Amino acid sequence: MDWRAARRLPSRLVHVWRTSLRFRTVLITVALTGIAILVTGVVVSFSISNDLYQSRLDQAFGDSARATTDAQKKLDAADATDPAAVQSLFQQVLGDVKNSTSTNLIQSSRVPGQGAAAGAPTGITTFGSAQSVISGELKAKVRSSDHAIYAQSVALPAPDGSTDPGIVVGTELVLPNAGRYELYLGYRLHDSEQTLLFVQRTLLLAGLALVLLIGAITWVVVRFVVVPIRLAAETSQRLAAGELEVRMPEKGEDVFTTLARSFNGMADALQRQITQLATLSQLQQRFVSDVSHELRTPLTTIRLAGDVIYDQRASFPPATGRTAELLHTQIERFDLLLSDLLEISRYDAGSVALELEPTNLVRLAEDAIDSLQALADQNGSEVRLVAPGGYFQVEMDPRRIRRVVRNLLGNAIEHGEGKPIIVTVDSNETAVALSVRDNGLGMTQQDTRRVFDRFWRADPSRRRSIGGTGLGLAIALEDATLHGGWLDVWSSPGEGSCFRLTLPREPDGSIGSSPLPLSPSGSDRENETDRVGGSYPEHAAESGAQNADESGSVNAARTHPGSEVQPW
Amino acid sequence: MSARILVVDDDTALAEMIGIVLRTEGFEPHFCADGAVAFEAFRAARPDLVLLDLMLPGLDGIEVCGRIRAESGVPIIMLTAKSDTADVVKGLESGADDYMVKPFNPKELVARIRTRLRPTSSNGSVERLQVGDLTVDVAAHEVRRGEKRINLTPLEFELLLALASKPQQVFTREMLLEQVWGYHYKADTRLVNVHVQRLRAKVEDDPDNPRIVTTVRGVGYRAGVSA
Repeated sequence: MDWRAARRLPSRLVHVWRTSLRFRTVLITVALTGIAILVTGVVVSFSISNDLYQSRLDQAFGDSARATTDAQKKLDAADATDPAAVQSLFQQVLGDVKNSTSTNLIQSSRVPGQGAAAGAPTGITTFGSAQSVISGELKAKVRSSDHAIYAQSVALPAPDGSTDPGIVVGTELVLPNAGRYELYLGYRLHDSEQTLLFVQRTLLLAGLALVLLIGAITWVVVRFVVVPIRLAAETSQRLAAGELEVRMPEKGEDVFTTLARSFNGMADALQRQITQLATLSQLQQRFVSDVSHELRTPLTTIRLAGDVIYDQRASFPPATGRTAELLHTQIERFDLLLSDLLEISRYDAGSVALELEPTNLVRLAEDAIDSLQALADQNGSEVRLVAPGGYFQVEMDPRRIRRVVRNLLGNAIEHGEGKPIIVTVDSNETAVALSVRDNGLGMTQQDTRRVFDRFWRADPSRRRSIGGTGLGLAIALEDATLHGGWLDVWSSPGEGSCFRLTLPREPDGSIGSSPLPLSPSGSDRENETDRVGGSYPEHAAESGAQNADESGSVNAARTHPGSEVQPW
Repeated sequence: MSARILVVDDDTALAEMIGIVLRTEGFEPHFCADGAVAFEAFRAARPDLVLLDLMLPGLDGIEVCGRIRAESGVPIIMLTAKSDTADVVKGLESGADDYMVKPFNPKELVARIRTRLRPTSSNGSVERLQVGDLTVDVAAHEVRRGEKRINLTPLEFELLLALASKPQQVFTREMLLEQVWGYHYKADTRLVNVHVQRLRAKVEDDPDNPRIVTTVRGVGYRAGVSA
């Protein structure tokens, strides 16, 4: 594993921790039992080591007590007076002590401060370099009282240079004609420590084995629980994804079977409801589509007849002539309404397919502006195209996008109050966008929200110069969505409106952000994160705040009906 | 001499109304209301142009279109209540030259008929053109590969002629729509796509690897082997 993989490991562990219930459960169980076993092990090991030390201490005490008592008895019984005899007696007694105890570390010397005694033995030691372990404190205790035995735990240097734990026991002997001698016996606890280490090692291994075993057991037990849960999760996921016929297996009598049974019951009910609704909605769509189709043939006849009559209106009396004109325009309006209705019904039925072609959005905008120039002139609006970017081919359905652009432009001309209209095209790395900005009356925030609704009109009494059907913006929104793009609106009463179409540069590509600002201040970008992949109308937050109190008032601009120009 | 036009539509009111419009414009309409007898009516009337409704009792309009096309190159304009992609493309693929979505405007109908009936727009200056290994005889309305004559409908001939008269010039779909179909505004470019496919099927040795009518990606088509 190289260092990069090693660096990724923590994040992968975090990921597994967050996603795997089994991993989490096993880890928690292992951690908790590990802590419990560790605490038990430490207590057990501590108590064993204490016990071992104590027993060795008792042994050392007993050992040395017996030896010194024997030695003192011997000393008391002897009557050596001359220095040589005393010296030999001392040697002999110490030799006995050494033999009768289980240690060969022995040191004895005359207690200082008793005045000089001629011929008193100088003392011996087998401690060697370990003499220093006998602390002054112990020496002081031994010297202070009579015949009591004192012990001290020490670290005895071993022959191989390391140190062994040990005990030094000190007491006092009285040598006839020579005074008090202090006697120290050193006991190595080396073997006890070996025992302790062995016990500790065994405890550690047993603990580790136990933790692993518990981990494995937890893994298996959690499996029993997790597998049905995972099955339930997968089943509900598939159900949510539209596989209405999936069910969970129902075997046994336990709680999971109950879960499976109620889950399946829910799925049954859901399937029934959805199927019912789908059938209803299909029927309704079919109905709309059929009605529209059936209307077309008679409408064609009516239209042909109307046109024939219209062409001859000059030869009719004035009232009949005007009637022919009205008939003509209303048939046309009916025609538009019908084709929009059909288009919407096609979207509802999901039977719309894009005909993608590489298209230059700037050229398309120029064409659309040209085709509506007459209408713009008639309304006195100047239409300007500003295109800092977007001069390249993007896969789109040019018929639909042209229809959207013409629609937005037609709306802008109709509601632009004769003020300049600016069409902007720009691009960034993920998207191309076109916005149409008018400086007309604008809309309130409330109206902006509804502007893409079907047949919605803010003010039905408003004069309509180009006679929309009320479906244009709804269709435009569907067109944009079908392209994987957005259609947004910003508007403010008295300031005009801005509609922005954003399309991905690659078909099925995602749009990072729109290349164009929506509101004049351009501060709508933070709002874009709220959009959920779709193209719902949004209202820039800052203008919303500014208008929030206005939108409810009587003189708020309610003069931007959702009317639109008819697609070609 | 007035052009004969066969109107195949089961809606008698509409057929009659179309007849009135056509007569006003100086055409001679014939009628047929049943798909099953449409082909016989076609043979009997020997029309100069067929207006064909897609939804017919008896035999489907697409089927009728295919049968007429198998025998004759006479211009066919489909009338359809559905502008859905699949139906229109199916109709065009079965050989229709053009289509009109109901409800249509009488002036548009007449304009479309006139475009299809006008004599091939040969400017007279050229008699003979060479495209790849094809010889286009403009006056005789004939296309030959070597000695072999290739049967093209008038529309296909005009499409080939338009491309061949300016070899190496790239024609956008919109240009072809205007020149060949007579549309002066943005129309359905699928018309061009489908008919280029039909033309290629007839004139190319390997339609999957065209050498006579080549595609210029993102722009349109041109005649001749691309450089």
